[in-house]
Amino acid sequence: MTDSTSQGVRVAIGGSTQIRCVVNGEAVIIETEVRRSLSDVIRQELGLTGTHLGCEHGVCGACTVLLDGEPVRSCLMLGVQADGTEITTIEGLADGDIYHPVQQAMHDSHGFQCAFCAPGFLMTTVALLERNPHPSEEEIRNELSGNLCRCTGYQSIIDGVTQAVVLIDAADNAITNATEAGNG
Amino acid sequence: MKSPAFAYARPESLDEAFQLLAEHEDAKIMAGGQSLLPVLALRLGSPELIVDISRISGLDTIDVDADGNLTIGAMVRHSAVEESDDVAVFAPLVAEAAPYIGHRAIRNRGTTVGSIAHADPAAEMPAVCLATDAVMIAQSPRGRREIPAAEFFVGFLETALEADEILIAVRFPAVPVGTTGSVVELSRRHGDYALVGLATRLLVANEVITDAALAFLSVGPTAVRVSEAEAVLVGERPSAELFNEAARVVSATLQPAADVHASANYRKHLAGVLTRRGLARAIARLDVSI
Amino acid sequence: MVEQSKQTSGLGGFVGTSVKRVEDRRLLTGTGQFVADVLPKDCLHAAFLRSPYPHANIVRIDTAAARAHKGVVTVVTGAELEQITNPFLPFSMLPDLYTPLYYGLSSERVRMVGDPVAIVVAVSRAVAEDALELIEVDYEALPPVASIEQALRPTSEPIWPKAKGNLLYDHTDSFGEVADVFAKADHVFTETFTCPRQSNQPMETRGTLVEVDPVTGEVTVRSATQSPHMLRWMMAAFTERQGPIKSLRRFLGDSERRSGFAAGAKAFVGEKGDALKDGDNAGMIHQIKTDPAMLRHLGRTLMGVTGKDRYVTVVADDIGGGFGAKGSVAREDIVVGAVAMAIGRSVTWIEDRVENLTDGGQAREEEMTLSIAADADGTVRGLKVDLTIDQGAYPGVPIGAAMISRMMQVMQPGSYRFEAFEQRSRIVATNKGKYVPYRGPWANETWARERMMNIVARRLGISQTEIRRKNMYGDEHYPAAMLTGPTLDVTMSVRKTLDRAIELADIEGFEAARATAAANGRHLGIGFASYHEAAPGPPNYWDCINPGTSALLDQPARATIGADGKVKIWTSQMPHGQSHQTTYAQIAADQLGVGIDDIELIYGNTAKTPFELAGTGGSRGGPVGGGAVRKAGRSLRKELIDFSANLLEANPDDITIADGVIHVAGVPAKGLTFAEVAAKAVQHDPSRGDLAFDVNETYLSAGDGGWSVATHVCWVEVDLETGFVSIPRYLVVEDCGPIINPAIVDGQVRGGVAQGIGAVLYEKSAYDEDANLQATTYMDYLIPTATEIPVIEVEHIETLSPGENDFRGVGEGGMLGAPAALTNAIDDALASRGVFITEQYLPPYRILELAGVIDPD
Repeated sequence: MTDSTSQGVRVAIGGSTQIRCVVNGEAVIIETEVRRSLSDVIRQELGLTGTHLGCEHGVCGACTVLLDGEPVRSCLMLGVQADGTEITTIEGLADGDIYHPVQQAMHDSHGFQCAFCAPGFLMTTVALLERNPHPSEEEIRNELSGNLCRCTGYQSIIDGVTQAVVLIDAADNAITNATEAGNG
Repeated sequence: MKSPAFAYARPESLDEAFQLLAEHEDAKIMAGGQSLLPVLALRLGSPELIVDISRISGLDTIDVDADGNLTIGAMVRHSAVEESDDVAVFAPLVAEAAPYIGHRAIRNRGTTVGSIAHADPAAEMPAVCLATDAVMIAQSPRGRREIPAAEFFVGFLETALEADEILIAVRFPAVPVGTTGSVVELSRRHGDYALVGLATRLLVANEVITDAALAFLSVGPTAVRVSEAEAVLVGERPSAELFNEAARVVSATLQPAADVHASANYRKHLAGVLTRRGLARAIARLDVSI
Repeated sequence: MVEQSKQTSGLGGFVGTSVKRVEDRRLLTGTGQFVADVLPKDCLHAAFLRSPYPHANIVRIDTAAARAHKGVVTVVTGAELEQITNPFLPFSMLPDLYTPLYYGLSSERVRMVGDPVAIVVAVSRAVAEDALELIEVDYEALPPVASIEQALRPTSEPIWPKAKGNLLYDHTDSFGEVADVFAKADHVFTETFTCPRQSNQPMETRGTLVEVDPVTGEVTVRSATQSPHMLRWMMAAFTERQGPIKSLRRFLGDSERRSGFAAGAKAFVGEKGDALKDGDNAGMIHQIKTDPAMLRHLGRTLMGVTGKDRYVTVVADDIGGGFGAKGSVAREDIVVGAVAMAIGRSVTWIEDRVENLTDGGQAREEEMTLSIAADADGTVRGLKVDLTIDQGAYPGVPIGAAMISRMMQVMQPGSYRFEAFEQRSRIVATNKGKYVPYRGPWANETWARERMMNIVARRLGISQTEIRRKNMYGDEHYPAAMLTGPTLDVTMSVRKTLDRAIELADIEGFEAARATAAANGRHLGIGFASYHEAAPGPPNYWDCINPGTSALLDQPARATIGADGKVKIWTSQMPHGQSHQTTYAQIAADQLGVGIDDIELIYGNTAKTPFELAGTGGSRGGPVGGGAVRKAGRSLRKELIDFSANLLEANPDDITIADGVIHVAGVPAKGLTFAEVAAKAVQHDPSRGDLAFDVNETYLSAGDGGWSVATHVCWVEVDLETGFVSIPRYLVVEDCGPIINPAIVDGQVRGGVAQGIGAVLYEKSAYDEDANLQATTYMDYLIPTATEIPVIEVEHIETLSPGENDFRGVGEGGMLGAPAALTNAIDDALASRGVFITEQYLPPYRILELAGVIDPD
């Protein structure tokens, strides 16, 4: 169905095409219908159902994933637009049985209840703390305001972000100390 | 809901894109897709062909010329505009407006030029273009055409672009010394479309306003300037009384519609309130006491 | 770190501590399993064609083009569905009530925008949606009924022709000498309150996957349901449509089924006969008189259920919130089930957000006129209420407006010592979305009463705290009963929460700040609201709502130890965010002397869990579900110790369990592990099979119980230039008895408050004057975000219950108090402008209209 002879990609109505991405560190090649959203590609073609669909029109934020390190709404992208990118989903956060610090912090803080919104909050928070390792409470609330949670009233999630800052700082300090000790 | 079926093309050059537009009557240009994809997902539209211009090289730059005119290409994302030092210096109203657009995840994908071409009256960039007298740069196989902002937004989601044209960039004219401005808006929740918003630009010389632009969003089918209120300001020294009078004229002039979020009267009133707040903020930045 | 080791080592004392959630491991790593995450091989996808008209006759429907579309497997219309299913039968059959009969799809008439008229089943959801566009329907528009006022007009187009007009229920109850009390009081104050439509809006929409095993034909229904057993029986009742003769033959020919059914019925009636006697009979007779077709459908349904070849198994794993909306059995569930069984293929339907906002359940649209008879000193003496509920086009099943009107009436007098009370309740039909229970379904009685108390206080020139203190029940009044019947005891400790809230609120400090702000043109306000809620309520609570109801609400729990020594707790509760796995593990671990991780909770599978219809809802998970788990845990401990006593050659009274080891007190070294005891037990009695120990216990709904109470205090600043309201401080002082897990309780309270704030400032299922829904996306239905919800302080008081059951529920309270406290605060901020707030939804434009800053359009 794909015709790439005239430089770019052309797919007929109802057609499919092949996309290549790196998902959670693994290179994948996926054949997908071009009308499919990136979220449906992630959930159905890749079987990574940890990314959730809450509204499919770009408001609730549950489908947020990292695209080349930055948060995006995967329901507001076609899968084909992700061709050639690097994607991180909630499944890509933990290291085996060891939580990512943001997951650990949300666990410590009783961050979520039904947790349907959790994938979006986790990915948004990971990106936020990459950009701004020590956000104020106002900055946290502003950054998370694109993610809806219906259960918690948000306070436990904000506490989780604050706790994540503490955990990440502690880990960084441990590494620094270890390095200094090694150098010494 | 899932998108209806469409054909998809991702050209690698503008010529290829023009050819696609020529071949298909019902083609839709997609840059970041943040306006188009919700339309598709809700099945409110069903284009035959989507032309994804994201891989056409040369469209993702922010350039400043020797005169201080700043040009933003069609594939520059809101987040790049938000973080650009050049935009902050040479098009400060654009920089001020950018954080109001949706949330970061939206700004990471959506483009400034795409938002202008979409011409949503509730979006920030069309109003900023009106306030700054920005120039739209359209290209087609027939050549390049420059369209002043004042002529570009012709109706609800409707622009002066021809079917064979692609909006490849927007140019914000150099900011003369003595210029100030502000972007103010109120939305019901953080990141929502504004109930009413205002981009203000003032030129002040010898403590007298010599030029004024008041461009509103979310008050009608297009972003709109209120020349009656601008006329009130020009030739006057900034003062609370003057701003009140401009606000009164704004409220009396605008004819916004009601929706589930606000009554028409509320929008008229709020436009007046924002006029006072926007002017005060702009003047405060000049360090002029009023 | 200490807490972490405690979670696994089994030191006991878990109840009362913020044990970290057992659920988190899967939910934080993206490995949970929601219904949309399960997609069997070759599963088909369903989509519904929905009416664009609020009210219309279907003149013609042509599905030929859709059927012919590539990838479409079947298309079923309403008329076709009626051949293979039964209509929904009424559950709340009150005398004077008309409950309509309706099917999963509408065939002759549509009654709301979004009314389902056909289902397409195809290879993908996208293809199914493509085919929807190919179905041709000719509608003949009927005059829409868009409001309570229109519905009450005698000329309004009847939505249900068999009902006499659109007023479906009109009933008045009186308690005490109402006329006398109103005649003798110094003042009578009257106000009319309005609350617009809201929607529960869990972040996960509804969804049902009907799995048909291609080999055995066994049917498994996976669904986001708050009550798997309810769905199972409804699915059996409404998808089975064999002729009565065939059913009877099957039933009579199957001796096992016959005797099983007879024994079950005998046991149930024997135990509950007295309670059932007062039950639904009058309502049932009224229904059958109004619509004789009901008798036929009832018979067909019962015969269908009893003569069925086999019953579906309902499975629910993770559920993304419900707030009442997933307690209802959806019309779509029945359609998807019937169609999947008819074609013998697995079919999944995952509701999208537009469907959910349209047909996923709406709530709270009520109008109430309250009159309070009061003396000049602030003593409130009499209360009269005239309530009208807009139930929209379809009543929620099993709990709809009728049951909700009863809850509202019973709770309406609140925590105050009225001498007389009268309530008229009306239910009207309109062309709007289905009416379902939403977190604290009776919440508007709390809101209107707590608003009215403030209005009376303002009129009489006393403070909002004084009028509450003066009229509230306190310990010195007990034993007592509400005018409407339910018993009040020390667990109704609402005045303690008010007193503590007053202490924490620093009202003097606030008044000073208010004066300073006022001098700068800023408008501050403070609002109090107090309430008690049945969580689970005293033993007579449910029978005051509707006689006989308590008989249906007993809660079973089972506790087992496998032959391998592993402990399992089996519950009919259906977690959907409440953290049952953690809290029930805490309760059971404390009883059994093991660690949190040693307990496995079995839930969400009708083939495994004990039968009970209510599932999770009504703040019952802690007290009733938790109470049953504690009873079962305690019994299991006793069996374990009794059996181990023989092995240890000791007196059972001397035996204790700690760290998972059963031993004589003081001699832990000579103990037995659970695995050792289990092995012995099985060896001793091979009939135990895989389960060395197996106990079942029931928490009786009409047995034990008590009240949860709270006082909310809200501070606001109102910007009279923009109409925006900010909430600089919010305080909840609550008493739900002994707390199982403080972090989880705080989360429940805060989540409820957030929904209450949403109701007042952001959320409205807005319909225009022609009953067209305007808020069909999240761009128009506004759920508050992290920037709109303030920090919410939660203070606990833990009053013990005099009965055996200590735990009391906490799921609904936040939502009950918040709309009242917030609107009271806004009213307080605008009082200087002579404003009295009598409406619940207050977006910025409405604030400015009320304050006289702008005119309405």
